[in-house]
Parts: sequence; C-alpha cells; structure tokens
Amino acid sequence: MRTTARLLTGSALVVASIGLGAQASYAGDTGSLEIHPRTVAPGDSVTVSTRACGKDGRGVGDAGSLGAGEFKLRPGTHKDFAVGEFTVPGHTRSGTYGISVLCKNGEEATGDVTVRGHHTPSGHVKTGVGGSVGPDTTQIAAGAAVLSAAAVGGVLLLRRRASGTQGG
Amino acid sequence: MTSKAKTWALVLAVCAGLWLVRNGSQDVTPPIPSAAEAFAAGPNAYTEAAADPLPPSDPVRLRIPGIGVDAPVTGLGLTGDGALEVPPAADGNLAGWFREGTAPGAAGTAITAGHVDNAEGPAVFYALGALRKGDRIEVDREDGRTAVFTVDAVEVYEAEGFPDEKVYGPSERAELRVITCGGGFSARTGYRGNVVAFGHLIGVRGGPGGA
Repeated sequence: MRTTARLLTGSALVVASIGLGAQASYAGDTGSLEIHPRTVAPGDSVTVSTRACGKDGRGVGDAGSLGAGEFKLRPGTHKDFAVGEFTVPGHTRSGTYGISVLCKNGEEATGDVTVRGHHTPSGHVKTGVGGSVGPDTTQIAAGAAVLSAAAVGGVLLLRRRASGTQGG
Repeated sequence: MTSKAKTWALVLAVCAGLWLVRNGSQDVTPPIPSAAEAFAAGPNAYTEAAADPLPPSDPVRLRIPGIGVDAPVTGLGLTGDGALEVPPAADGNLAGWFREGTAPGAAGTAITAGHVDNAEGPAVFYALGALRKGDRIEVDREDGRTAVFTVDAVEVYEAEGFPDEKVYGPSERAELRVITCGGGFSARTGYRGNVVAFGHLIGVRGGPGGA
C-alpha cells in the first residue's frame, strides 16, 4: 500500500513537474543538490540534501568521482528534503567533483563539491644556488684573442717602421 | 698615411679587446622579466578565453616551447616551515608540482616549480624570466590529455613579503603557476627572490583513449 502510495505520489510529482514545467524550473529545487560545505578538505564530511526525492523521499548518492563511493539519502528533519552524508577520502586531490543522487522516485539531482588541500605553500621557493652565475668566459676569450692579435699587429707595425727609418 | 690608419686600427682593436674582457668578467645572471610582462603593464592586446576546467589528473611532463623547456614532472610536498619543496637539485632537467594542490588543467591554481640553476650551471627554468605574455605552456597529464596554458604575466618578487595569496591563492578557472629563483643574485645571500609565471588554461589536446 505504502509503495503504491509513494509511487502514486511520485507519478503525481512527475506529472506536476511536467505540467508546471516552467514553474518547477523557476522553483529551482527539483534536480538541484544542496551541498554543505561547498568547499571541503580531504577527510571532511559533506552533507547533501535535495527536494528531488519528494516528501519522505529516499535515494542513493554517488560520490564515486572523488572515491567516496555510494551513500544513502533518507528523509531529513524537514520532510521535504532527503539528506545524506559522505566523507571525502584523505587522499583526494584538490579539484571540483560532480556528485549525483538517484531518488527512488526516479528523479535525479546533481551538484558540485570543491576539494582543497589542507595546506597551501607559503613564502618564496629556494630553486637556485647560483651555479649559472659567473663571468662570460666566451666573451673573455674573444677579448683576449682580439688583444693578442692587436699585440702581434703592433709589434709588426713597429718593426716595419724601424726598418723603414733605417732604409730611408 | 697607411701607417696612421694601421695605428688607429690597432687602437680600436685594443679598445674592443679590453671592453670584451671587462664586460665578460661581470657576472651573467639568469634573465629578469621586463616590466612589460608584469600584471601592472596591463593585459595582452589579445588574451585567449579560458577553457573549461578538466577533471583532476596528475601531470607527467611540462613543456614551454618558447624557452626550450621540456621536462618530466615530479611531485612536491611542503617543507617543515610550510614552504614549497623543490625537486632534487642534482637533476637539472626536472620540474616539480605541488601534489597536495590542484592538478594542472583542473579548476583552481596548479603550482609548479623548478630550479633556475644548480651547482653545475643552468637548470630547467633558467630562461623563465625571458617568457612573454601570450607564450604557451603545455602540461601532459596521466589521463592522456595535454593541458595548454597561455602566459598572463611574468613577475618578480623579493623573498621578503612574497605575495602568497596572489601566487598560491585559489581560482575558479584552471590556472597555472611556474616558479623559479630570480630577482638578482648575491654571492652572500643567494637569489633575492622568485620569478613567477602566471597562466590560464586555454585548450586541451588529446584525451583518455582518444587521439
């Protein structure tokens, strides 16, 4: 009897949501998943609630995207909401993950949760020791070569001048 | 007359030689980004639109074609005092990625770092300071995708007052930081700060099981 009643309620809701499509989407509750908190750290627990499952509704949530597997949703203290909870595994990497819920009434709800690591770095990074800092040996060598060429040239010039003076 | 010309040529050669030796004797330091590459200089005339973030997947290789970087990526944690670890210095061609943080291409700020030099000489990010706005940075990931970033700015920060929030802070779009040492060098205190390249995701190549 209860199942039938629930099925009927479910169908009624589906019919209602089809019939009042515009209004249903305006309300924005059906199909959307409320996630608290939206930003979590690995190891934190996350509460998920939705109206999609209907009054006293139940469902199964899928947090497989972040490795938490499936979790159940039961009617919450507010009977219009089905509520569930899962824990973000300690090894979960930072990022935004999609969470979906499939209600017993066939409705689906999806939402996102953002995982941020406990720690972020601070301060500057010590990524160098100065091993690339030093004189430009190529340039020094080139300079030395030019100087010695000039020296040789100078000596030749002086010798010619000397012999020129003798000859004249 | 020819003798006079020869004398002048000699004087010129001596001057040029002395200049080369003197100039070469001054220390060569890694390139320092110009003021035009900083955020303060305004955005590029044409900045490519941000691409949709990818699901997280670890990086395996980082390439910056503009400055000849092509290096494998290793994971980095934090040091005892909360600073970012650095890759082992012995391997000059190795980039590091903060593995407790965002993966490159995923929504958030992915942090990578590498050495500007080691005891042997220039290392993987030696030329980071020569990077320009609009240059590409590509990161190959474990899932087979390549996340393609464009450079938004290249900035230099002193070690004192390092802007943690700006460099490490969260982001809604997929962003990337590439950090190395820079900002001047003194033999006594080492590098004065860091060169940081900022980028955002503009495209994705390949995919799991795809081409």
